Amino acid sequence: MISWLVQPSGWVWLVPALPLLAVVVNAGRVLLGRCDGDGAEPLTARLASLAALAGLALLLVIDGLALANGAPGHFRLAHWFGSGNWEASFSFMLDPLSLTLSTLIALIGWLVIRFSSNYLHREAGFHRFFIVLTFFQAGIQLVLLAGNGLLAFVGWEMCGISSFLLIAYGWHRPLATGHALFAFMTNRAGDAGFLLALGLAATWLGGFEWTALARASQISVVDDRLLVIGFVIAALAKSAQLPFTAWITKALEGPTPSSAVFYGAVMVHAGVYLMLRLEPLLVQVPDVMFGLVVVGTLTAIYAWLCGLVQTDVKSALVFATVFQVSLMFVAIGLGWTTLALVHLCLHAAWRLWHFLLAPSWLAVTRQRPDPPPAWLRCNQLLYTIALQRLWLDKLSETLFTLPTLSFARDLRALEEQFIDPAIGQPGLGRAVHDDRSLVTADGWPGHALASLSELLQRIEYRLLLRGRGGTAEKLMHRAGAYLQTLENLLEQPRYLMMAVMATFVVIL
Amino acid sequence: MSAEHELPLRKRLAHWLDHLAHVLPGQAPIRDFVHHNTLHGFQHQPFGEALSAARALIGANMYWPEAKFRACLASGRIGDDDLAAALADLGVADLDAQPVRGVTRLAILLASLKVGMEVPEAARQNWLRRETALAGDAAFSHFTRLLAADRGLPPVAGARWAELRARIGKTWTWRSLLEYLSGEDVLERVRTILQRHLAAHLDLGLAAWRNPAQEQGFFAAWRASAGLDLVWEMDELPNVRDEILHLPDSPLDVLLEELSLLLPDQSQWYGYLQCLCLELPGWSGMFLWRDRHPGGGDGTPVAMLDYLAVRVVLERLLTDDLLRRLGGGPMSLSELDEHFAARPEEFLVRDALHQAWLPESLHSRAAHLLERARNEPVETDAWRHLAASIAPLMAGEQAAMSAWQLAGLSRGLGLTWAETAALNQEEALALHDCASELSPMQRGQAWLLAYERHYREQLFSALTAIHPHQSTPVAPSAQVVMCMDDREEGTRRHLEEIAPTVATYGAAGFFGVPIYWQGLDDSVPTALCPVAVRPTHLVREQGEPGTEILQARHAVRRERRLRWRESIYQATRRRFVAGPLLTAVAALPALAAQTAVILAPAWFGARMRAWRERHDGVIATRLALTAEEVVAASPEQPQHGLSDAEQIERVEAFLRSIGLCSNFAPLVLIFGHGSVSRNNPHLAAYDCGACSGKHGGPNARVFAAMANRAAVRDGLAARGLLIPASCRFIAAEHNTCDDGIAWYDLETVPPDFQPAVDTLVAQLAEACRAHAAERCRRLLSAPRRPTPWQARRHMQGRAGDISQARPELGHATNAAAFVGRRGMSRGLFLDRRVFLISYDPTSDDDGRLLEDILLSTGPVGAGIALEYYFSSVDNERFGCASKITHNITGLFGVMEGADSDLRTGLPWQMVEIHEPMRLLMVVEQSTALLMAILERQPALRELVDNEWIVLASKSPLSAAIERYCPRRGWLPWSGPAVLPTVARSHDWFAGESAPLAPALVLGGGA
Repeated sequence: MISWLVQPSGWVWLVPALPLLAVVVNAGRVLLGRCDGDGAEPLTARLASLAALAGLALLLVIDGLALANGAPGHFRLAHWFGSGNWEASFSFMLDPLSLTLSTLIALIGWLVIRFSSNYLHREAGFHRFFIVLTFFQAGIQLVLLAGNGLLAFVGWEMCGISSFLLIAYGWHRPLATGHALFAFMTNRAGDAGFLLALGLAATWLGGFEWTALARASQISVVDDRLLVIGFVIAALAKSAQLPFTAWITKALEGPTPSSAVFYGAVMVHAGVYLMLRLEPLLVQVPDVMFGLVVVGTLTAIYAWLCGLVQTDVKSALVFATVFQVSLMFVAIGLGWTTLALVHLCLHAAWRLWHFLLAPSWLAVTRQRPDPPPAWLRCNQLLYTIALQRLWLDKLSETLFTLPTLSFARDLRALEEQFIDPAIGQPGLGRAVHDDRSLVTADGWPGHALASLSELLQRIEYRLLLRGRGGTAEKLMHRAGAYLQTLENLLEQPRYLMMAVMATFVVIL
Repeated sequence: MSAEHELPLRKRLAHWLDHLAHVLPGQAPIRDFVHHNTLHGFQHQPFGEALSAARALIGANMYWPEAKFRACLASGRIGDDDLAAALADLGVADLDAQPVRGVTRLAILLASLKVGMEVPEAARQNWLRRETALAGDAAFSHFTRLLAADRGLPPVAGARWAELRARIGKTWTWRSLLEYLSGEDVLERVRTILQRHLAAHLDLGLAAWRNPAQEQGFFAAWRASAGLDLVWEMDELPNVRDEILHLPDSPLDVLLEELSLLLPDQSQWYGYLQCLCLELPGWSGMFLWRDRHPGGGDGTPVAMLDYLAVRVVLERLLTDDLLRRLGGGPMSLSELDEHFAARPEEFLVRDALHQAWLPESLHSRAAHLLERARNEPVETDAWRHLAASIAPLMAGEQAAMSAWQLAGLSRGLGLTWAETAALNQEEALALHDCASELSPMQRGQAWLLAYERHYREQLFSALTAIHPHQSTPVAPSAQVVMCMDDREEGTRRHLEEIAPTVATYGAAGFFGVPIYWQGLDDSVPTALCPVAVRPTHLVREQGEPGTEILQARHAVRRERRLRWRESIYQATRRRFVAGPLLTAVAALPALAAQTAVILAPAWFGARMRAWRERHDGVIATRLALTAEEVVAASPEQPQHGLSDAEQIERVEAFLRSIGLCSNFAPLVLIFGHGSVSRNNPHLAAYDCGACSGKHGGPNARVFAAMANRAAVRDGLAARGLLIPASCRFIAAEHNTCDDGIAWYDLETVPPDFQPAVDTLVAQLAEACRAHAAERCRRLLSAPRRPTPWQARRHMQGRAGDISQARPELGHATNAAAFVGRRGMSRGLFLDRRVFLISYDPTSDDDGRLLEDILLSTGPVGAGIALEYYFSSVDNERFGCASKITHNITGLFGVMEGADSDLRTGLPWQMVEIHEPMRLLMVVEQSTALLMAILERQPALRELVDNEWIVLASKSPLSAAIERYCPRRGWLPWSGPAVLPTVARSHDWFAGESAPLAPALVLGGGA
């Protein structure tokens, strides 16, 4: 217990925790109204930058020790919750894979925060941007450093939410919010896969630890395959591989640095990392690996074709990014995980620069890129497909959005036509009787209550209020007289004694 | 379609395109950003009327919101007297009349401006009534009671329908009408793909793969793709593909056919096309620009007719579909009238949804009903039921609004409760009528006039105050000719403070030499002159003789470096195999570079520059200035170099125009300017406007070289302009972003001049550093109260910083122009807000010199001021909003994100501190001469008479100032001539970050 305290690697939880702390402080300042005016900007930016820099420094120390003494590997920090035969814990994984990536991403994160503090100067959403960007840093570090799937999933979701919030950075533009929602919803499909896999892991393997997942060979191949497919769906959605690619092309509405860090350098690689992390699991199901090769190849062709026709820099870059990420999936599918990791790191470093310099495109290029080969160049249908990006967003709209909307409309109609009138709504009541305007009711429960109150009122009226001499009064008078007599009798000593003795008998 | 019918239509179409060019943004591809009046198409109308017309058509804000002006009133930037004078200037009649007993019209209007006529929405009013003292507000209750009796009848649905319907072809398209009625924007369904097609067709070098049919024009290219597009089926528009495939081949036939389907009345066609274009102003404007400037493209045929045909086809097809769904069956546009005539309740509900007075509960019910109606037929009873709840509310609305306004007015007028209570209904209505006499546009104009007047009074007062102190160095140690640019006002002032013996001049920054310039490393020549001029001479920069080997090595190495850079940037996004490989190669250097540039931008910039110079090699260069043979030069076939006679003529004309004809100092510095910053698509907007958004250094260098030539000096002497041998011209370029100076050809300066040059170099460097310190005060991220050195280092950092969205502030806060001798303003702190143009009124009896100066600088200054004006008052519509989401498109413009209209105008970062005003031009010349020039020059007359700029004359002999009013003639100015006095500029601006009033700077030679 004490040993991890003196080890720097024991403090690794600070890497995601510090940005979270910065988020809390900055959000608190915004909530308390301390972020008005230009003067509040430097503090916000500095807190974010400091959190990122401290994380980077800590990681570098851990890296140094790891280089000297070997990577600490998986270790458990604390119990989180559990039930029966499964347990979730706060555990971290510090192996070469996560340390390499985590350090690189921390450096990128710090640089982008520094970049943004100038770039977003005096923007209305300055503080919001930094809060979300820092929140994202916490999330992505959690994904990278987590020792188990559940903790990684928490980070995974943090990334998804911050991505959503930054696409909708210009929330007053309906287009931006619409695209943000689209990206968010598509990513939920990936989350479903992640959750499925986690649920299965808890059931079959008794935990979410990456180390436990690596032992999945104990379960049947069929079960194993199902488990892996869940993770693969999550990875494909997050890394915008087919058929999920449409979301990333719509995600370019945010400020340039957020486009750079989310869709150029960092978040788009999260799926690749997940696959690399699950390599021991993957190798047991070659057919899924083959599937990765197929999906990766198709995505590569798709992204390459679409990239050729793009006329704006950010779209061109995002297709180039998807293209190279899909090559990483192909590499993983072929089992070349080291190559994929190296490619990932180099690509992240280059693409960040590429995206951040997107506004310089007029200055850094002089001529049009070479046209594709003639057979492709003259194909009108392929051109249309590339320009329409294979209609992916339209298809998702036709296949998912519109049916959902229609369903929602039907539900609303059902509610309005039947359920609301049946249940009734406050404020819409109408008088039940024309002569009693104060009693109003709407819906079945309302009418039932009104009837009940009427009944009670009738009873009250009949029994109590009908003046003296009513049956109820007589009956009550008589009952009152009986009770009076009984009380008088009980107050006499003999009966009192009898009562005391009876009590003793009962007790004994 | 027979040929006879086609001919007149073609002619009409040509006219239409001419008109469209007036209405659509005229911005060139962003590489060649040049400031121009955003509303150049309305310039033939008086300012106020033009803005009203533009407002009706475009719907943008034309003035600052009143709340902002009111804040200025509160902070003292507008005075009560300014507002009163503005109302008089506006030409409001009978200001002294008393519409209500005891209260003048002037007082009522002033109160109405100060209190505002804005009325909170119904929901807010109700809330105020419930939650605040409003219910107990006696005046409000009083007026509510008074006006309750005077409820106007609600407009009848039929009349309202006719009003909306009449907008078609004027300010609305069918799409707008249907969107208003149904809440569904049909353009949204195709906007994204249409934009992609447009960008693909106009692309200047981003896409590798173009539409295979693009050579046949946009219409054909679009049709080829749209005919194969599966989106129509997905959108449940299956007939659209058939219709597209069966369209006639000629876009003209298509246009004609579809327009007659949309509008039977041919006279409305132009108006309709105009509205259609204004739905996507950025894209339409760029398409038209390329149509008008075939040379500005890449050879792809771009015809506006194609674009119009596509827009009209889509408009017709998509409105048809929406109409079918609205009417529950096939319905034509002409049947829409009958449809709503038969269903007035439905129209009432659809219309009411857009009214501010509609309470929230009814609003949500109406919105829901509309949504249902879009998907399924809705029974008439539902409309009727809702309409019955809405109708009674309409009537009460007007009374509540008026009562609100009147209550505010009575407070603004300072009426006591007794006086308020004494007002009867008739008087209350008279008061209300008088207060609402000014339209919102007129109110905006009144505020603008007041705002302008306040600053103008300060300037006039400053000019009068400086008059007795006028002084210029008798025997100047150097004469520095700078650009007229408002930014150089600061440089000049600091130079004069630091070196009181230096005389400065200002002129349009191409220094009278319009040329095509080809630097040693340039592959093609660039025009360096105002946009309106097309140069006929080419000047090239060449390596010194004897350095041929070095030159060749330089060219090879530079080319290789650029090719590598290009291939890395391009291949990593485009290549299948080379992409990942080059990514791997470039990744580590990129990571190192971004760490360095983000942490130490100035250091990194300097290191990169040094490395580049070491790698490429530095070549000493000279100018190929003098023409070897004189040819009939034309812009297409420019003459190489200038002949002696041409050089003499240029030099003489320029020196005479700035009034530098005698008393030459040992050194005359021609000082061009440009701006260097990184990661900035709007780079050209920061450069020299007189050089079409390019750097003016080469012009300065050419001018100095010409003026130093013995042949030229002899020629000048023959014309009576004697430049002594003891005078040497030198040239330099000022980087307005980092306040650095690049000197030209200093190694050729004879040793005799060396000490003087050294002194001037040091003085100018010091002046630029002091100027940098002054600039820091408006930049929030700059150090407070920096030393000049700190300031300069900060500016270097800004210039090299890829994350800096405000490398400098450009022309922001520009407000006035002085044309005259420097003496009229030397010693004034003008806060970098004034264009300074040198002109000597004493040597220009017939006004010819002034005429030329006004012709070249008037439109440039007005263009800059008005572009800043409109980009500030409505940055969403006239500007291009914040830079941070900008995305370069097709190398010709920027979009916001990856799916928006093309954004034109200035980014918000450039205008955020701007104070929108028209340019005030003060000319040091008599009014009679100015009038004569205006008579002669219709272009100037248009600007001045239509009040796009404000003209004032300062007498060359006395301190008298007169302002020109097109309605009332020359108005003599009188006012106080007192001014705060400080020793140096620094004492006035140190620690201040807000705009500063003029001050008298004693150190400035006064």
